[in-house]
Amino acid sequence: GEPAGPSPTGPRPAFTDEAVQALLYKMTGIDLHKVFRPVQKELKPPQYKLMTEAQLQEATRKAIEEAKEKLVMPPVLDEREPIDDVLAEDKFLEGTETTKYVFTDLTYSTPHRERFIVVREPNGVLRKATWEERDRMIQIFFPKEGRRVIPPVLFKDEHLGNVFQQDRHEDLLNRCIAQFEPDSPDYIRVHHRTYDDIDKHAKYDLLRSTRHFGGMVWYLVNRRRTDGLLIDMINRDLLDDATSLITLYHMLHPECQSAKEAKEAKLQGIDLIKVFVKTESQKEGYIQLALQAYEEAMATSTAS
Amino acid sequence: GSCLLKGYHGGHVVIRFALGGCANRPFFRIVAAHNKRARDGKYLEQLGCLDPLPNSHGEKVAGLNLERLRYWLGCGAQLSRPAEKLLGLAGFLPLHPMTVTGAERLRQRRRREGQVGTAPVEGQGTAP
Repeated sequence: GEPAGPSPTGPRPAFTDEAVQALLYKMTGIDLHKVFRPVQKELKPPQYKLMTEAQLQEATRKAIEEAKEKLVMPPVLDEREPIDDVLAEDKFLEGTETTKYVFTDLTYSTPHRERFIVVREPNGVLRKATWEERDRMIQIFFPKEGRRVIPPVLFKDEHLGNVFQQDRHEDLLNRCIAQFEPDSPDYIRVHHRTYDDIDKHAKYDLLRSTRHFGGMVWYLVNRRRTDGLLIDMINRDLLDDATSLITLYHMLHPECQSAKEAKEAKLQGIDLIKVFVKTESQKEGYIQLALQAYEEAMATSTAS
Repeated sequence: GSCLLKGYHGGHVVIRFALGGCANRPFFRIVAAHNKRARDGKYLEQLGCLDPLPNSHGEKVAGLNLERLRYWLGCGAQLSRPAEKLLGLAGFLPLHPMTVTGAERLRQRRRREGQVGTAPVEGQGTAP
């Protein structure tokens, strides 16, 4: 689980803070070819347009803005508390019914979170419905696109392995967002499994330039498992992303050694990474190797 | 105007169940209609539904549009007895007295059957 409690220097930064969101957004990157990759839709023949240079720049600018819309990160919330609230106990009704009744309030204007959904059990107890019952009833009466009444078998642990072998993490996460509420335990479990699998096999590039990248970085930084991601970034020559990752780490764990050193010396760029590697990482050797390779590459490219 | 607009003299609005569905598959719509209309005929507004057959999770699903229900009750609509019992079960209205009486009668009948089963010689048990 995530470490809890206020840090000595002030309140813990949350996922929704502007500074945190800015760092995560910068690390996500915008690869237009990946964002606007053809989605499985109705087949249409491609449209060709003739444009001047200025119009092309204008179109690219608009495409970048649309990409920003698509890259809005889905919320990261804590798991919701289970509901067990009894409204009435009428024990003399026991034995009259064999099945339970689920009553849903169908008023169109109430938000789904405030909707009344109550269950009358066969033993006469009138209680509020559990979260799973609530989600099912709301999907029955107010169906949402892409959501099934009964969650697909795909999201069970034994079948996630198949999806990961086919490298379809992004599709899985998109389907998970469509199916579950952000604070449901299933949503959190599927997301954490996906991030763990990506971390284990170092497949970070699958999620880069998608809206799930920020959530993954947040998960890894909270659990201090940033080494694989750091190596991947250095190997792809994304030094800016590496520095922003370490800045985020320092924002979330201000009491660690490298954070204090960095704040005193006000380090930038590659020095920040070196300090971080010395004190915080577990795979020091690998990161040193990657850094060396990067520096050699920089040296040869500037020399030639 | 429409020739289907029929005015009733002395009729009133009731909130009742309209039966729909197919053979061996009933489905009730909770409906506000004029008293004199056919059971499944033209209604003023649908206020909800009830599926009397349990689904795969063993529950009978019912939906009630409480806001419109309150409106019609405020307009002076009356309720049919099954509708009152359902709303009592839902908690919107207090439990119908016949629900309680029915539960009591069922319990007595079961007790009587239990006693007949165990002691056929004794005759009538403690049931009043």
